Amino acid sequence: MLTKEDNELLTQTGPGTPMGDLFRRFWMPVLLAEELPAPDCDPVRIRILSEDMVAFRDTDGNVGVIDNYCPHRRASLFFGRNEECGLRCVYHGWKFDINGDCIDMPSEPAESNFKDKVKIKAYPAKQYGSCIWVYMGPAELQPELPEFEWARVPDANRVITRFIQHSNFMQATEGEIDSSHVSFLHSVFDLSIDYHRDMRTGDQKNDRNSVLSYKFGAPQLTVKETDYGLTYGSRRGPEEGNYYWRVTQWMLPMFSLIPGPAWPRGGRGWVPVDDEHIITYQYSYNAERPLTDAERARAIDSMELEHVKYTLKDGKIIDTYRSVRAPENDYLIDREMQRTQNYTGIPFGRHQDFAMTDSMGSISDRTKEHLGTSDTAIIAARRIILKATRDLQEGVEPYAASHPEVFHVRALDIVSSEGDFVKLLEADGQKTLADM
Amino acid sequence: MLSIEENQLLTKTGPGTPMGELFRRFWLPAIIPNELTPDGTPVRLRIMSEDLVAFRDTDGRVGIIDAFCPHKLAPLFFGRNEECGLRCVYHGWKYDVNGNCVEMANEPPENRFQDKVKITAYPTEEWGGLIWIYMGPENLKPELPQFEWARVPETHRHLARWLQETNYAQGMEGEIDTSHISFLHGGLTPYMRDNPDKRPTRQGATRNLALVDGAPKLTLSRTDYGFVYGARRDTGEGDYYWRVTQWLLPMYSMIAGAQWPRGGRAWVPIDDENTSVFGYNYNPEAPLTEEQIANIESGQAFPPRVKRGTHELKDGYVIDHNLGVANKGNDYLIDRDVQRNETYTGIWGINEQDRGLQEGMGRSVNRSREHLGTADQATITARRLLIRMAQELQEGTEPAIANQGDLYRVRSMDIVSPEGDFQRFMDVFTDEAKAKA
Repeated sequence: MLTKEDNELLTQTGPGTPMGDLFRRFWMPVLLAEELPAPDCDPVRIRILSEDMVAFRDTDGNVGVIDNYCPHRRASLFFGRNEECGLRCVYHGWKFDINGDCIDMPSEPAESNFKDKVKIKAYPAKQYGSCIWVYMGPAELQPELPEFEWARVPDANRVITRFIQHSNFMQATEGEIDSSHVSFLHSVFDLSIDYHRDMRTGDQKNDRNSVLSYKFGAPQLTVKETDYGLTYGSRRGPEEGNYYWRVTQWMLPMFSLIPGPAWPRGGRGWVPVDDEHIITYQYSYNAERPLTDAERARAIDSMELEHVKYTLKDGKIIDTYRSVRAPENDYLIDREMQRTQNYTGIPFGRHQDFAMTDSMGSISDRTKEHLGTSDTAIIAARRIILKATRDLQEGVEPYAASHPEVFHVRALDIVSSEGDFVKLLEADGQKTLADM
Repeated sequence: MLSIEENQLLTKTGPGTPMGELFRRFWLPAIIPNELTPDGTPVRLRIMSEDLVAFRDTDGRVGIIDAFCPHKLAPLFFGRNEECGLRCVYHGWKYDVNGNCVEMANEPPENRFQDKVKITAYPTEEWGGLIWIYMGPENLKPELPQFEWARVPETHRHLARWLQETNYAQGMEGEIDTSHISFLHGGLTPYMRDNPDKRPTRQGATRNLALVDGAPKLTLSRTDYGFVYGARRDTGEGDYYWRVTQWLLPMYSMIAGAQWPRGGRAWVPIDDENTSVFGYNYNPEAPLTEEQIANIESGQAFPPRVKRGTHELKDGYVIDHNLGVANKGNDYLIDRDVQRNETYTGIWGINEQDRGLQEGMGRSVNRSREHLGTADQATITARRLLIRMAQELQEGTEPAIANQGDLYRVRSMDIVSPEGDFQRFMDVFTDEAKAKA
């Protein structure tokens, strides 16, 4: 439970908000690189942290992320001409480069220097790990990119999708560090049916994640605070003298790594569009070899995505992917499936999560919730991010933002006779370090 | 640039707002006559944030009354339009075009309740190819603006109405923004620059001169009806291409054109985030030919391509309107290959280009964040004038022009001349600037 004030602090990321300031210390993904496929390609409309931007790839292949609205009369640059190293507003011909400089202003007299006085908002952008990343914070604090293993493996070892979700970032992120829901929301009655998993292929009967998670619904959680955020061990069992441990990372400001017994493994980044929408970046990778076509297809097809023009509440449009399973069609729930085959009547895990986190309302009212011991990691994550937010307001910069090497970690899924999380990390901690 | 407060003053026209009061001192276009037939389907309107329903009674008279029956606030759109009145189908109350309750079938006749109940009904006039409405104080009913297009015979003009999903001012400002035509509607693309033989030719030879000089010099002259401005472009051959455009209170434009028919628009607020655009085209000298009408209705300029439909506004109220075929939901059918090679925007129609950019600003643009240059002088003046008049009206000064309908008898001009000074140019071409009808 949070107070109304803390809930607002936690969920509001627009310009000038304390949480918005914290997010603006980190690089964040804004697009898949493939959405800007070639020099001079079509611009793409985005909203990130409540700021409307347009992304384009210029003639030299460099990516610009600039204000969606031309500073002249605020017309949308989405309709602009992307040519000759700049994006030109088609209303009066003003042209901007990826740095936000106005490089042509043909509607004003040639002798005018108005062009030199006008700049458009532009954020540094980089291509990395199949994504376009943007940094929206103070220029003098611009850090290196975070060293996520999934981003550093060769492109062939990784698959990534992005899609819109209809809620605030935090309630979706909290689903990542909520081990116990796996035993319910994602459970399947008949393990011979190939539902649920969006990352791995193969026989679910031999997947201990599935078998043991469904069997033990009340895992014991131990949280350890770290430089990057937190890691926690979720212990199930014992069974035949062994515990099933799932070790998960939650990384500032909103990334996760999810354990699995085999590659590929993955996680997500939850990038606020505004306070009521997020774009989720869902990555899945194999640190050891390229993904097979089947693995890649599974990760993409199971999401059932369409590329859409999505109209936000204020009428503005963004270009994004969206699952065909959406609030207005009840995520295509199949009640017969729910009676006989799985817990929800919705086939895949991600859509099951959508239904839960969207249904809380676009911003969950945390003054009305009731948290138990299985919510320990959620409580800790809120405390950590709220503390980092308050610290920043008092001038203490977030350590993780300027130390990209702290993200050099892996989730872990292990069966062990060790019942103590700290001792487990001492024994098997090496396995939670990334190779790349 | 405007402050947030000035921006609100400019854009808000609901009942009781200063700009709403100013607009309510004028006759405003409400609907096109052929949208209504005797005893035909009523049409749902919203004008300046007031929900209204228009109908034509058995005798052909037009009524524009409150959209909701005063009894239980049921929608009169579903009413029976019959025997000289619109009857609410909920309990049978019936109203005539003047707003009198002429029958109250569910009450005992001896109660005379029907004589005590009136529905809001605004005065209307069917004139000049439009149905006009006056929504101001009864004792201040003004004169109809004597536009030339309204005074020519019916065969000489064409009128249309379509929806724009922005505040009225956003669209209106596009009319007095001469520099955008050199870009949005006719910009030189790198492909055209490198392939001069592929440059498109447009109707009306002088029009292409807008391409020659993208930074026109504007001179503005205040008038009783608003202002007129000359936009001067250098032809590169020792003379000037002048486009002389009027902006007329409170929200009319008159666009320069090299030949007849010429046109312009009226921007009537639906609410603060939507506008009914009325577009006129006319020829004072001859009836429009079939070819000209076909050309107008093709949608390549004004009006755009439309289809009749219903449109749900933000609060759930539905209006009946012509809706753009190219619209926000389909990115105005932009074709990026055409944009690369053939045209500046890749959007087909002139209004579709305008609407794409204006609606793309958001429904009501934040003018505190813009950067205006010398090319925006006319826009700045129109805003200042409207804001000042709205403030003056609050202090009791009525807009004189509302009662001077004859002052609207002016014409736009599109002329190449060696004269470089606007005032002297206007002296030379005084007669051309006067309406003949």
